[in-house]
Amino acid sequence: MSFTRQFLALLRIHLGSLPARPSSALTIVVGVTCAVGALVSMLAMGTGARREEMGDVRADHVILSKIGERPGQSDISRDESAAILGLPGIRKGSTGDPIVVFESATFIEGRRRGTDVRIYFPVTGVTKNLEQYLPELRFTEGRMFAPGLHELIASNPCARQFRGFELGDQRLIHGIAWTIVGRFDLGQAQQCTVYGDVDGLMAAFRRNTYTAVAVTLQSPEGFAGFHAAVAADPALKLEALRESDAIAEQFKELNAILHFTAYFVGSIMALGATLGAVNALYAIVDSRRRELATVRALGFGPGPIVASVLAESILLAVPGALLGSALAWLLFNGQAASPLGYSLHLAVTPTLILLGILWALGMGALGGVLPALRAANVPVTTALRAV
Amino acid sequence: MKFIPLIWSGIWRKPGRAVLIYFQVCVAFALFGVLQGLQTGVEHLIAQTRADVLLVHGNLALFDPLPLALLERIKAVPGVKVVVPVELFGATYQNPTQQLGVVAVRPEEGWLSAFTFSIAPEYVATFRRLRTAAIIRDGLAKKYGWKVGDHIPLKSQTQQQNGSADWAFDVVGTYADSDLGGGSDTLLINYDYFDAARLSNKGTVKHFKVAISDPALATTVIDEIDRLFANSASATETQSMRELAQSQMQSIGDLNLLIRSIVGAVFVALLFSTATMLMQSSRERVPELGVLKTLGFTDAAVFSCILAEALAIFVAGAASGLGAAVLAFPLAAQIVPGLSMPAIVVATGLAFAVLAAGISAAVPALFAARATIAAALANR
Repeated sequence: MSFTRQFLALLRIHLGSLPARPSSALTIVVGVTCAVGALVSMLAMGTGARREEMGDVRADHVILSKIGERPGQSDISRDESAAILGLPGIRKGSTGDPIVVFESATFIEGRRRGTDVRIYFPVTGVTKNLEQYLPELRFTEGRMFAPGLHELIASNPCARQFRGFELGDQRLIHGIAWTIVGRFDLGQAQQCTVYGDVDGLMAAFRRNTYTAVAVTLQSPEGFAGFHAAVAADPALKLEALRESDAIAEQFKELNAILHFTAYFVGSIMALGATLGAVNALYAIVDSRRRELATVRALGFGPGPIVASVLAESILLAVPGALLGSALAWLLFNGQAASPLGYSLHLAVTPTLILLGILWALGMGALGGVLPALRAANVPVTTALRAV
Repeated sequence: MKFIPLIWSGIWRKPGRAVLIYFQVCVAFALFGVLQGLQTGVEHLIAQTRADVLLVHGNLALFDPLPLALLERIKAVPGVKVVVPVELFGATYQNPTQQLGVVAVRPEEGWLSAFTFSIAPEYVATFRRLRTAAIIRDGLAKKYGWKVGDHIPLKSQTQQQNGSADWAFDVVGTYADSDLGGGSDTLLINYDYFDAARLSNKGTVKHFKVAISDPALATTVIDEIDRLFANSASATETQSMRELAQSQMQSIGDLNLLIRSIVGAVFVALLFSTATMLMQSSRERVPELGVLKTLGFTDAAVFSCILAEALAIFVAGAASGLGAAVLAFPLAAQIVPGLSMPAIVVATGLAFAVLAAGISAAVPALFAARATIAAALANR
C-alpha cells in the first residue's frame, strides 16, 4: 500500500475513534482556544493602535523637526520660518501661499467625564492655513477660530472624553478666557485634539519656539528632493520626515510595549496549551495501543503512522483556533481601551485571525511530534498480548 | 507519613504524564505571577509614594512657568516645612541624541526632605558652596564615565545671557532616586546660578516642591495654597506626590480587565486539561486501587492519596512557575521603572495552586474512592 493510502486510512480510524474519548480531544481544543484567544486579543490592541495612529496619514505630508529631537516635541525658532517657507516642492494653497503649518503644542490639564480623573492632552497652536493642510477636517458645529480673539476648536472625541468642550465653554489660560467656537471630526482619529491660533497660544504659554512644522508637498514623489533641500540649507538645523515615519517615531515605545506584551503572553499561553496537547495525545495514543499494534502487524509502515497522528493533532488545533479568534472578535473587537493613556479601539482583523490559526497549527504540529513517535514505536508483540 | 512512599510512586506511575502536568502548572503560574505582579506591584508603588510631599504647578499644565515670587507666600502656609523652587530644562551632551534632563533646585536647609534623592552629605555641602556645581544621577555617571571634579559641557535650547547655547557644570557628586518618574539621565544644579545666567524666563520656576510636617494635613495645605493664588494670573494646582503617581498609573489601570481575562483563560485551560488527565489516570488505576482496598485501605485513604498526588504536583509546579516569574519580572517590569514583585502575589499563587489541585483532583479522587473491590478487580 502506498504512503498516502495508509495515511488516509489511519487518519480515518483516528478521527472515527475520537468520539469515544471526547475529553482528551476537548482538552486540546480548550487549550488552543484560550491561547489563540489571548494572543489575538492582545495583538488586536496593537492593530487598533496602529490604525488609530496611521489612519489619517498622507503620503504628501512631511513633518520638520530638529535633528535628534522627538518629532512633534522639537524647538524650532521663529528665525527658521522664512527659510522653511522658501523651500522647493511645497504645494501652494488656494491663496497662493505655500501650505506650511507652524505648530506649538502644549499639554494642558483636563478632567475625564464621569470619573473626574485628571488627564493631560495637547493644545496645539497652528497657523490659520490648517484647513488647507487638513482638508479632511470637517466642522460638525461652530466655525474655525479667528486669530487674536482667544478662540479654540476641539475635536469631537474631546467632548466625549472630557468635561468643558461644549460649544461656548471657556478655559482660563493665565487669567484670559479662551472660548470653544468649533467642534470637528478629523478622519477616524479617536484622540482629543484642540487647536487655537499659534501666536496667541505661544504668547499665553510664554513660548518662543515652534514644536513642529508640517508641510504638504506637491506630490509624494517630491519627498527625496525636499529632504535633500532641508539637509542642504545651512540656515536650517532640521530634518524632514514623512508623516508616517514621524508618527512611527512618536509611538515607538507604545508600539514596542504592546507588541512585546502580546507575544510574551501569547507565547507563554501557547507553551501551556502545547504541553496540554502533548499530554492529551499521549493519552489518546496509549488508548489505541491495540489498534496501532494490529495495523503494524498488518504491514502499515511507521511513516504513515507518524504522519497520521501529527495530522490528527493539527486538525484538533483548528477548531480551537477558530473558536479562540471568534471569542476574541466577539468579546473585544471594537472595544475601547486606553493602554498607557492612548485611546484606541481594539481591531480583530482577518490578518490577526490568520496569524492565530497559523499559531494554532504550530501548537498542533509541535504537540504531536512526541506522541506520534510513540505511536510508531508501539511494540507489536507486547501490545497484542495485552488484548 | 507511611503513605508518602505510596503517594510518591503514584506520582511517578507515568513519569511523562506527571512531568507534563508539572510543566503546564509551572507555565500557567509563571504567567499568573508576571501579570498579577505587574498589577499588584503598581498598586504597592502608589501606596509607597510619599503623601507628605506636594507639588505646586501652574493650574494649566505641568510645565507652565510660575513666578518665583510665590515662594514666600507658600512658605507662610501653616503646616509647610520646606519649599524648594524647581526649574527643569533639556540639554544634550556631545551630540543631539544624547539627551539629559537638568533639574535646577535651591539647596536651602532641609531641601532634601522634599525629594526622594539619596545623596552623601559631603556632596551636598560642596553643591551648596559651588555655584556651577552639578550632582549627577548614578546611572549617568556610569553612562558617560563622569566622575567628581569633571567639567562637563552641555548644549541647551535655554540660552545664556550672551545668547550662547553652551553651558558647563562641575561634577561634585552623584545621587540615587527612588521615585518612579524621576528619569535616569538627570543632573541637579543650583537654581540661583542658572536663573542669573539665563537669558529669558528669569525669575520663574516649573514647580515648587513642598514638604509638609504631617501627611494628615495634606488636603488642608493643598486647598490653602491653591486658594492663595486662585483667580490670579498664576493660579496654581497642588497635588501630593501620591496623587500624581496615581494619575500617572491610571492609564495602566485600564489594562486590568484584559489582565483579568487572560489570567481567567489560563486557569480555565489549565483546570480543564489537568482534570481530564487526572481522570484518565484514575480510570487506568482502578485495578491497582482495587488491590489496595483488598489490603484494607479505606475509601477515605484512597481518596486522600489521589488528592495528595495532585497537590504535590501542583504545588511543585506553582512554586517553580512563581519562581520563574520572580526571575523574569524585571524584564516585564520595564514599563514601570522601580517595580518589584510583591510577596503577596507569590502567596496568592500558592493558595491558588492548592485550590486548583483540589478542583481538578476532586472528581477523579471521588471516582477512585467509590470503586468497589469486586468491580475494580473484575476490570482486569
